[in-house]
Amino acid sequence: MSNLFVRKATGMVRSWSVFDAFIYAFFSINLVTLGFYSFSQMYYFSGGMIPALIISAAFIIFEVIVYASLIAVMPRSGGDYVWQTRIFGGGIGFILAITGWWFTLWLWTPIYGDMLRQIVLTPLLGAFGLQQAAVWIAGQGTPLFVCSLLTLLFVALVIFLGMKTYARIQKYSFYAGMLGLLIVIVLLFTGSPDQFRAGMEANSAAYFGTQAGVHDATAEAGAAAGASTPLTGGSFLLIMLTLPYLVFFNLWPNWGATLYGEVRGASDYKRNFSGMAWALIATTLLGILFFLGVNRTIGWDFYVQANAAWWNYAWGYTTEVPPLPVWPNPAMLAVFLTNNRLIQIVVLLLMSTWWFGWAGTLFLSSTRVIFAAAFDRLLPESAAELNKNGTPVNAMLYMVLPAILISALYAYNMLGFRTITLAATQGIAIMYFGTAIAAIVLPYTKKELYNASPIAQMKVAGIPLITVAGVIFAGFLGFLLVEWMFDPWLNTGGEGAGLYGISFKNIYSIGFLVLCYAVAATIYYGFKARRRSEGIDMNKVQAEIPVE
Amino acid sequence: MTSLFFATDIHGSDICWSKFLNAGKFYGADVLILGGDMTGKAVVPFIHQGGKNYQVTLLEQEFYITSDEELQDMIKRVRSRGYYPYLTNPDEIRELDQKPERVSQIFRDEVLKVVQQWMDLADKKLDGSDMKVYCSPGNDDMDEVDEIVRASRRVLLVEGQVTPLDPNHEMIASGWSNRTPWNTEREEDEDQLKVRYEAMISRLKDPRNAVFNIHVPPYKSGLDDAPELDKDLRPVLAGNSMIPVGSKALRAAIEKNQPLLGLHGHIHEGRGAIRIGKTLCINPGSMYEQGTLLGTIVKLGKDKVENYVLTSG
Repeated sequence: MSNLFVRKATGMVRSWSVFDAFIYAFFSINLVTLGFYSFSQMYYFSGGMIPALIISAAFIIFEVIVYASLIAVMPRSGGDYVWQTRIFGGGIGFILAITGWWFTLWLWTPIYGDMLRQIVLTPLLGAFGLQQAAVWIAGQGTPLFVCSLLTLLFVALVIFLGMKTYARIQKYSFYAGMLGLLIVIVLLFTGSPDQFRAGMEANSAAYFGTQAGVHDATAEAGAAAGASTPLTGGSFLLIMLTLPYLVFFNLWPNWGATLYGEVRGASDYKRNFSGMAWALIATTLLGILFFLGVNRTIGWDFYVQANAAWWNYAWGYTTEVPPLPVWPNPAMLAVFLTNNRLIQIVVLLLMSTWWFGWAGTLFLSSTRVIFAAAFDRLLPESAAELNKNGTPVNAMLYMVLPAILISALYAYNMLGFRTITLAATQGIAIMYFGTAIAAIVLPYTKKELYNASPIAQMKVAGIPLITVAGVIFAGFLGFLLVEWMFDPWLNTGGEGAGLYGISFKNIYSIGFLVLCYAVAATIYYGFKARRRSEGIDMNKVQAEIPVE
Repeated sequence: MTSLFFATDIHGSDICWSKFLNAGKFYGADVLILGGDMTGKAVVPFIHQGGKNYQVTLLEQEFYITSDEELQDMIKRVRSRGYYPYLTNPDEIRELDQKPERVSQIFRDEVLKVVQQWMDLADKKLDGSDMKVYCSPGNDDMDEVDEIVRASRRVLLVEGQVTPLDPNHEMIASGWSNRTPWNTEREEDEDQLKVRYEAMISRLKDPRNAVFNIHVPPYKSGLDDAPELDKDLRPVLAGNSMIPVGSKALRAAIEKNQPLLGLHGHIHEGRGAIRIGKTLCINPGSMYEQGTLLGTIVKLGKDKVENYVLTSG
């Protein structure tokens, strides 16, 4: 029986494929780039990695509910910036979103650049027999700066090509990357520890010119560096303490969510939710499978030790180059299980597509928020200008020029920038916190908006689901923010960098955040005053017009 | 200096229409301009279950109404999204399932009834004020809408006309669009649009000082980015692939004549402002389903746009 009659009218589209939505969320919580990279840095924790993956995913499911719900209430509106400014009013939304989606992304640039060289360039140069180049590109300072510039070049190319082209590149990258990961997992589950040891000795010598005994020397260096993270086990508290680091990898299933399409009904809400939730679940399961494969063939202890040896050097705790002079990329370690160079190269190329299918979206949300702010007249009109090819040149410059400066500071470790890696997550998490609060209050402060949405009937014990999910997600974010800021369990003596390195004792990290928020506030209040002098009342511009 | 407020694509939302009528006073505008697509896209049956009970499915959620108060509340909720409530019974619903032409007639009746209510409201609300209200129905609006608007005392139909906004500025207006995948009420090929635009532009005293109030945005302006669809009208790549769908004829007309201002709509997610040469083109976008009136305030100086801002009311 009919429950709705529709007519031919613009925009009456059918629902999009959940699988497509899944692909983009899956790429956002990217196991091979963000995952492998952050797992490797987490060598000194005491909570098990497998339970940490599961518990973090359980919390992040509530993030998925929050974002799917907000999209259902205000679809295609541009995400956090618009939600926060419309629910809280201009100031808070602008300051949080501009910092989270714009300034913080500058800091992500050298991190993406680091992944480009460690995941793509170093192993491939080694596989092609270019030993010196492979070792050089993995080194500190200039190589990292060069790779950050290459990243910016790639991102600029993507913006120039447009999302239509890049969305297709992402889809092909998904299939290629999954094939590569499947081969890596098969190698890990069919190889043996002895095979790996022999393969590593032979291939790392061929790739990077390492000395005989590199395996044991790496293990020793790692043990000396404090490698300790277990695969399983650890108390609940110790597992929870790993989460503020782990979310560097998996806090992002919502990254491209605001593009998924108009939500016209509860089934579309479920479609959005499913795309993101399945991506989170699939990535978590793949992560567990990967860990088990590593444990079986590479050996969990060696994996953690190799990571400890590298990061102890890369973070400057020692000047002694580790026996394996590059990041121990687990995909590369897996291909060492075969001596067929052609297979190695093919697998490494396939695994590289994880970076290319992911990195292009670095400035996607930033560009969107810059445009939204320019349309709100809180940035110069030129910020949203397109050139004749339709490329947002000025918005790109707003992203690229500061990103070059930040990349240089990071690459050459000036002003302690190398220590503030996690601030890249922290800045966005603070913005998410604002969004979670907006989600909590939405059904009460914007009643008509909420009641006219497809989620109006979704309740838990009579409380709107969006509020319940918002409270849990905000609580989780609150925990992360407290841990990052106070690092209470390790920093009690006031010594060392703490578990996460970005506590209030790290003046560089705090300085970066404070500066970002101060600049955002200055822009907001500066432009507001300017517009007032031009006769535009910014408070009224975003206020609701009375109906009566 | 003339201050105008422009909103568009309110698609049958009562709340948005009321806000639009109040926007002049709220923002201090001299002129109100409503772009095209006034009419809604869906009829929601309220199926009588006996007594005061009705069953309603809104946004794929089932609602069971048991009192007059709940009925009025649900009617308001449906209207706020721009949909049309239709009180019916199970027998008629079964009949409508068999006879789609009856559904079309119901649609037409409901659409025109609401447009009439809106015009009545405007006549009542703006009575005694000197607020000017201009309207040009869009590609989703059926022809009969024009007659109802034309009969209004306070809302002026400006489709295909040159309208003086003040002593220095004239406006041309059209709700016609280039071809869409939905074969809507007012769409035509680009060469026909070109003729339509030229006919109006040729009557302008000073095209460079004019306002082009054209429903469809110019091609490749960023104001016309819409999700790419496959042959089944399904967004490809989960809506991540956006393509320009605006009018090439309009873009050429703007590039050639360089009017002061272009006011556009049509693409709800295309909210923004962009300059094509010296012409400021604005699409305020639409969030009619949320009852939010997106719009823009533009202050027109003698030979320039003094200022503008996009609003969210």
